[in-house]
Amino acid sequence: MDAINNLVLGFSIALSAANLFWCFVGVFLGTIVGVLPGLGPPATIALLLPLTFKMDPTTAMIMMAGIYYGAKYGGSTTSILLNVPGESASVVTCLDGYQLARQGRAGPALGIAAIASFVAGSFGVLGLMFMAPPVARFALRFGPPEYFALMVVGLAMVVFLTGRSMVKGVLATLVGLWLAGVGTDVFTAQSRFTFGHMELLDGIDFIVVSIGLFAIGEVLINLESRTGAQIFKVPRGLRNLLPTLKDLKDSRFAFVNGSVVGFFIGVLPGAGSTIASFLSYGLEKAFSRNPEMFGAGVIEGVAAPEGANNSETGGALVPLLTLGIPGSATTAILLAALHLWGFRPGPLLIQENPNLFWGLVASMYVGNVMLLVLNLPLVPVFAQILKVPYFVLYPAIFGISIIGAYSISNSLFDVWMLGIFGLLGYFMRKLDYPAAPLVLGMVLGKRLELALRQSLMMSQGRLSILVGRPLSAAMLLFAVVLLFMPMLGRVRAWRTRAIEQELL
Amino acid sequence: MKLKNFALAVALLLAWFLGIPGQAWPFGPTKPVEVVVHTGPGGGSDLFARAISEMIGKEKLVPQRLQVVNKSGGGSAVAMAYLAEKKGDTHTLGFFTGVWVTNPLTSKEASVTVKDLTPIARLVLEPAVVAVKADSPYKSMKDFVEAAKKNPGQLRQSGGSVTGRDNLTRLVIEKATGAKWVFVSFPGGGERIANLLGGHVQMMVMEPQEAGEHIKAGNLRVIASLTESRLPSFSNVPTIKEQGIDVPVIPQARGLLAPPGVSGDVVKYWEGVIGRFAKTPAWKKYLNDNQFEDGFLTGGSLNKFFDDLGLQMRDVLKEAGVKIVR
Amino acid sequence: MSFEHRGDQLSGIILSGFGILVISEATALPYVSEFGPGPGFLPLWIGIGITACSLAALVVSFFRAGKRSLDSSELSRIEIIRGVGSWAAFVVSIALLPLIGFGLSLGLLSVFLIIALDRRSPWVALGVALFLALGFHLVFNLALGVSLPVGPLGF
Repeated sequence: MDAINNLVLGFSIALSAANLFWCFVGVFLGTIVGVLPGLGPPATIALLLPLTFKMDPTTAMIMMAGIYYGAKYGGSTTSILLNVPGESASVVTCLDGYQLARQGRAGPALGIAAIASFVAGSFGVLGLMFMAPPVARFALRFGPPEYFALMVVGLAMVVFLTGRSMVKGVLATLVGLWLAGVGTDVFTAQSRFTFGHMELLDGIDFIVVSIGLFAIGEVLINLESRTGAQIFKVPRGLRNLLPTLKDLKDSRFAFVNGSVVGFFIGVLPGAGSTIASFLSYGLEKAFSRNPEMFGAGVIEGVAAPEGANNSETGGALVPLLTLGIPGSATTAILLAALHLWGFRPGPLLIQENPNLFWGLVASMYVGNVMLLVLNLPLVPVFAQILKVPYFVLYPAIFGISIIGAYSISNSLFDVWMLGIFGLLGYFMRKLDYPAAPLVLGMVLGKRLELALRQSLMMSQGRLSILVGRPLSAAMLLFAVVLLFMPMLGRVRAWRTRAIEQELL
Repeated sequence: MKLKNFALAVALLLAWFLGIPGQAWPFGPTKPVEVVVHTGPGGGSDLFARAISEMIGKEKLVPQRLQVVNKSGGGSAVAMAYLAEKKGDTHTLGFFTGVWVTNPLTSKEASVTVKDLTPIARLVLEPAVVAVKADSPYKSMKDFVEAAKKNPGQLRQSGGSVTGRDNLTRLVIEKATGAKWVFVSFPGGGERIANLLGGHVQMMVMEPQEAGEHIKAGNLRVIASLTESRLPSFSNVPTIKEQGIDVPVIPQARGLLAPPGVSGDVVKYWEGVIGRFAKTPAWKKYLNDNQFEDGFLTGGSLNKFFDDLGLQMRDVLKEAGVKIVR
Repeated sequence: MSFEHRGDQLSGIILSGFGILVISEATALPYVSEFGPGPGFLPLWIGIGITACSLAALVVSFFRAGKRSLDSSELSRIEIIRGVGSWAAFVVSIALLPLIGFGLSLGLLSVFLIIALDRRSPWVALGVALFLALGFHLVFNLALGVSLPVGPLGF
């Protein structure tokens, strides 16, 4: 069969000594980049571009791609151990991952993150191999109304992130939506809520908000009392440092969920891995038998988003390689790199350069295996970080957060914003306002408003465009269903309680 | 005696070199030179600047390294403010594009204008073409304009910011022909093309190299080129003027400038470097590969270019209803 | 269930105020633009939403507070002082970043946290401060080339 022949060709290229070496370099660098906040794949790839001019282009592409998906493996490390999101796609991992660490299950959390990343990453590669052209064509049917509907689905996930108080969750979401609006309006070039600050013209950086709310907020809460500070149970014994069979069993839906959701979101240009991880997490909770446990440390709450952000890389390569369309900052650089190396990315890339495409695809398998082999043994090593005394750890977290914020654009302004959001995070924790909906609102807000206004531009102001098309209508319906799901649960619980108290 | 004469001679020579007004050591960079771009790594300007720095380095036109520094934010506001702060700095340059001219017009926070900085040279003019889907009924720009006239506000164009060249082109065509159609902004280049391919919009203004592959694959068709004369790679595509739509070509220019307060001979030095660079075969190849127009311009003509562009932008934007703040 | 603490009521009031601020800023922006809603459209509704929700929750909680006393799990004063105090120290270290550079700022912050909050010996504090400052310098500055704020001494 054609695909088999191509795979053979691909592997023969990927398994050459040079390509294996540079693949390893790429995934290794990627892991480091992902672990440390402040370094991101786009900047790293751009910096390494001059190096690649002396390399064979296929090799160079293999290395760059390795950095890209390798970073997604590493991003979960600081999220789980320190509540510091290493990358914007890893913010969701903080929710359950950090709680698992606090319960002494950092090892299993890190392990399941690696395994989910591998499973979903492999699915992404498979998708890229077998489904690329038809999926790309399907994705073209997504216009602004469909994006709007998708964002509404994402927002509906809020109901799964609110915890006990719905009002506080809604308020947090609204604040997040507002934060997304700070900056320059795309359509009219008008600045909004910038209060004269030039640095705010591009909006508030999402990573600064996340690190402030999650990491700094957490440290401040812990510093409230000396005794409250030492709350990490350090895992003992090898058995506790890796996921158990039960963990793997619990996560089996999450593996599928993460793989599929991540891949399809990745194919949509502009959607991004952060949205993919949120959606995957929300869906996991929606269809879980024990949704109320989410947020308190549930293993599938780590497996789903971590898987999603890995298969998203496979998905994001689909429009890049089949149509020459970049869907995200990283793929934009990859596109430019392809240009620089003399390729002409477009619909004919695969046919004209089978070596590049199949070599890349095969090397992604290899890379994923390398990453699994690299990351799993490192899990017990990383988990030892928790043994570090808290009075060393907390200043270190402050330090990492500052670096993470500063290196976004080498601006102290971002660090000041970090301070502000740190305080906000502290008070939100104290007053029981959930941080996740705020972050969700911020991530979705920009896209939501964009899609809404684009749709209305297209329809000359008629709202019917949002429900008139089959795809968007279906997704909006799904969102409505999601909104009512917890209510069904609550109604059932209320009825049970009422019957028990013999009120009914 | 001989020694005294010798010493006298040396003293006279020194006096000549140091004493005579206007006689100074010729300028040459003595440490790495910063090249400021307004995009992040991987953005259009960033890659362009890196490519040029690499080429200049290879040709050994400058004794020091050229280092790209990203100062992204607020369009070009942050980069321009950064350059303004480096008054008199001879080892800093900036890479400008059309945004550097339009941004201060619409953004209150962008307080530095191109007139505050020191222009060195314009390097390229990026042409643009009008593209539609291959199976669309519009075979020429005239077809599209006629259809837009018949159904005002029904046809749609995808593009970037409303102050960008693609929207400004639409505005001048609308004004010249009386047609009206909708402009839908998409922040990402990929999405603009995706929406065109997906049929959500009917037309797009794009750069020739963006369009190239899609045309080869048979997905897109170019119905007009927005240039004064036909593009070499699109020799069978008529220009917009040839199709009877008389509009000014809105250029997308790229070039170099320096911080304010830089002395005349430093400017001359950089002009010389860029002038020599513009003649190298590597540069010509780069222009060809990327389908840029050689737009080399310096000195007084460059200043006039900026003035004219500024006025043109101001008029077009004002007519479009975009708020002009400066 | 939701707005019971005095702290909650305070936050409700602050949020309502914030909501009104948002509304006032949003009304200054155009509500409609050339095609479709303008930049002021969504922020206005967000502001209305924030104000409405927080006011509603406040009103409900005032009713509930009338029926029974406020929740006894009040917010402890000492804890808040420590929390906000740590934050203040953090902010001071940010302010010091352009003046003395990253290494020293972090070092000072560590010293403060360890001595003032954790009541350990100054030697421990100094040791940790040195270790962290050096560690970060090695990992980020030298190994990775990430640029950090530097002070007059170059680090």
